[in-house]
Amino acid sequence: MSADDGAQGEAMSDSTSSQPPQERPGWPSHIKALLWIVAILTVVLAIFEWWWPGATMPVDASKTEKAVQDTMVVFSVAAAPVMALVWGIALYSLFKWRHRGDGVPEDGPAIRGNNKVTLTWLVVSSLLTVFLLVWGLAELTATTSTATNPLVIEVTGQQWVWSFKYPQEGGVTSETLVLPVDRPVLFKVTSTDVIHDFWLPEMGIKVDANPAVITQTATTPTLLGTFNVRCAELCGLNHAFMQTTAKVVTSADFAAWVQSNGGTVG
Amino acid sequence: MTDSAVLETTVAASSGGGIMRRLNVLTGTVCGVVLAVVFYFAANAMWATHIGPYGQVPTGSDQTVVAMLLGWVIGFLIGIGAFVAPFKWLLGRDQSHDDEMFGAGKNQGVMRYFRFTTDHKVVGVQYLVLAMTTFFVGGVLAMMIRSELITPGAKLFGNQTYNSLVGMHGIIMIVSTIIMVTGPWGNFIMPIMIGARDMAFPRLNALSLWTLVPVVPMLLSVAFLGGIPTGWVAYAPLSDQAPPGMDAFAISIILFVISSAIGAVNLIVTAVTMRTKGMTWSRTPIFVIGITLTSILGLVALPCFEVAMFFTVLDRTMAATFFDAAHGGSQWLYSNLFWLMGHPEVYVILIPAMAAVMEMVPVFSRKPLFGYRLAVLGEIGIVSLSILVWAHHMFASGWAPALNGPFMLTTELISIPTGLIFLVIIGTLWRGRIWTRLPMLFIYGFLWNFMIGGVTGIFLSDVPADNELHGALFVTAHFHYTLLGGALIGGMGALAYWFPKMTGRYLDEKVGKLAFWLVMIGLNVTFMAMFFSGLRGMPRRVATYGHEFAVSNLITTLGAYVIFAGMLLFLSAIINSWRSGEPAGENPWQAKTLEWMVASPPILENFEVLPVVTGDPYGYGEEDSRHAIMAKSHNSHSSTEAHS
Repeated sequence: MSADDGAQGEAMSDSTSSQPPQERPGWPSHIKALLWIVAILTVVLAIFEWWWPGATMPVDASKTEKAVQDTMVVFSVAAAPVMALVWGIALYSLFKWRHRGDGVPEDGPAIRGNNKVTLTWLVVSSLLTVFLLVWGLAELTATTSTATNPLVIEVTGQQWVWSFKYPQEGGVTSETLVLPVDRPVLFKVTSTDVIHDFWLPEMGIKVDANPAVITQTATTPTLLGTFNVRCAELCGLNHAFMQTTAKVVTSADFAAWVQSNGGTVG
Repeated sequence: MTDSAVLETTVAASSGGGIMRRLNVLTGTVCGVVLAVVFYFAANAMWATHIGPYGQVPTGSDQTVVAMLLGWVIGFLIGIGAFVAPFKWLLGRDQSHDDEMFGAGKNQGVMRYFRFTTDHKVVGVQYLVLAMTTFFVGGVLAMMIRSELITPGAKLFGNQTYNSLVGMHGIIMIVSTIIMVTGPWGNFIMPIMIGARDMAFPRLNALSLWTLVPVVPMLLSVAFLGGIPTGWVAYAPLSDQAPPGMDAFAISIILFVISSAIGAVNLIVTAVTMRTKGMTWSRTPIFVIGITLTSILGLVALPCFEVAMFFTVLDRTMAATFFDAAHGGSQWLYSNLFWLMGHPEVYVILIPAMAAVMEMVPVFSRKPLFGYRLAVLGEIGIVSLSILVWAHHMFASGWAPALNGPFMLTTELISIPTGLIFLVIIGTLWRGRIWTRLPMLFIYGFLWNFMIGGVTGIFLSDVPADNELHGALFVTAHFHYTLLGGALIGGMGALAYWFPKMTGRYLDEKVGKLAFWLVMIGLNVTFMAMFFSGLRGMPRRVATYGHEFAVSNLITTLGAYVIFAGMLLFLSAIINSWRSGEPAGENPWQAKTLEWMVASPPILENFEVLPVVTGDPYGYGEEDSRHAIMAKSHNSHSSTEAHS
């Protein structure tokens, strides 16, 4: 991508004179300097963007969360050249053509536009948008495809606790979530009072719990361990405390847990 | 009224005004209180507590609160004389010229700011003071919120109070940011910029301001009525459970939207019909276009919030079931109505600030605006698309999962016209003569902050990523970067730019620059740390949190204190410079738009002779370009040349 207004034939590279425009062969020096700055900025930003999601997001404990974190990295890195270009041009202009001294500066060149630059910008931004869209739609399809024979769990939110029911396991109820690893799970979520939001941060899934309606979300846990269940929609007084745990165990341990809670393994 | 006849009316309008001479904000307050009390007794007499058709029991206090607040506003407007002129018309009596001149604040000194004054310059100053007041209150609330969150163990407020603080901070900042550029500068500057003497409907202008003034104590009364448990989004059905503070909130919104709609109509008609001779659309300054588009958008979108609040009031006071899913209603009706307003609303906040930035950047680069038509297309693109994206706020709601893909499409498309705006700004900077006066700093700040805010919005537009990030502090950090870092920073730049025109004095450059840096550093520290909290998994609107979020919250709180310090410094600069700042002449920035061709501050009629426009106002570096012909008058105030 180039800001190619050097193609107009004007090349005023110092900031103080109002000399007549001079022809110079090749690209003016300020275009080359800008390209270097943008390239360096892109690399620096891309490194930060590539590092940032993994360093801050929770451990990925499900297929969905893995997809989400990959998206964050890809989108972040894709943003790096855009940020570098915009900030590069802005900062380069500031340092290269800054007016010093008191008094109003004299006028700059009367550049009202540049068709090449505009067209390039439009094409590139459209392509970037198409890329984001294609990636996003592919990811959306992948993460919402319905599995055959998922473990169905009914989730009920009420001010201010979560409760879970396992209809396929003989109706076992629990106030903490227990999940077998590597088995697709389908959550059917509802509320008895106001809107809550069922969120498993480490598994990257979230859906509102609405009164008189059942909403759904699904994933496949891939990591053993204890994770968080949080409410992500302000639901009144104790919204901050509407949390519980989600324990991912082996299928053997899961069967044992079901039976010890009076259910039958479905 | 010919121009020469206007000049002849220099004698003090000692007649004229009639009853308006006695009416002001004090009589308005008194009348408002009286009518509030009357409506209180009437409401209590009319409504006994009764059982609704489904067994609900609407509490008498909800009806009483609603009635009292309506009484307050209607009484206030009667008491300040908002209806005097229409009432006289009903009786078949027109306003006399002296009445109109009194109404415009002629020869009243500072008292004109406390009356129902129609002069757009007075209304502009009133909006500025109102916005600064509401920002201050919102900022104090932010400090209270962040102090509660400084450590996991901090417990300054009870949970109900904390939830109310969050909601109040939200709505007060929303109201403040909506009015912050359009109110002061849309009113004060825009008519002069198009070569008009006032707006199309000066009395409506005063009405839109004075409808908003009584809303401020109404919003604050929420705190004394039990607060709100819902956040500013006021989701049903939680809004149905809420104490009477919710009713005060709802009535405040209804009146705020009425005020905004009146203002929007005025701005649109003014821009469309009152541009001076020669000012075709392609010679119209980009700020005017931005304000006009914003007003159209606001006029279409904000009433959805009004309807949603009206239905909430009906659910709460009249046993209606609009949002009660168990009885034929739907909470998703509320969400859709709200977000139909909620997304356009953020562009109503952003576009005036963005348009102001684009108005300023040619002046401080001494170059034409790069791609004027791109800027216009970009703004039209943003405005059009913004009505089609609202359900990206509802990706996680479970409503219509089949629509998630289409809304992802429309949301990501907005990045294209937004990118055009960035191109216009950086294209103007490139190879300019960068003049680093105070407004230019805010332009750079806008570029930095809005870039970050915009990119993080892209993450949120991706549905699976949004399922992780929604309802958590990532969203909060995103919209603070765009609204505070983008729109408010742009708005502060607009203030620094037009302050000399409004007051005749420069805004203190040194203090202003220090304030800028404090706010910039503060907000980047605050909200970058807040991104970390959100990515880690901390929900939003929570009174406390687990220890894994302690460090990021501590940093966020300390950064917030720095923002507040910077804002207080900025406020002190405004106050000191207004009273005793360095005098600025007619055109301190040597800009080309029409407001810089008249005195600072301008005379009542703005222009002695209306200008004739011959070109656009961005002809920097062009030999023969001229924006307008200002006729020379023997009463000319300045010695600078008449051609711009």
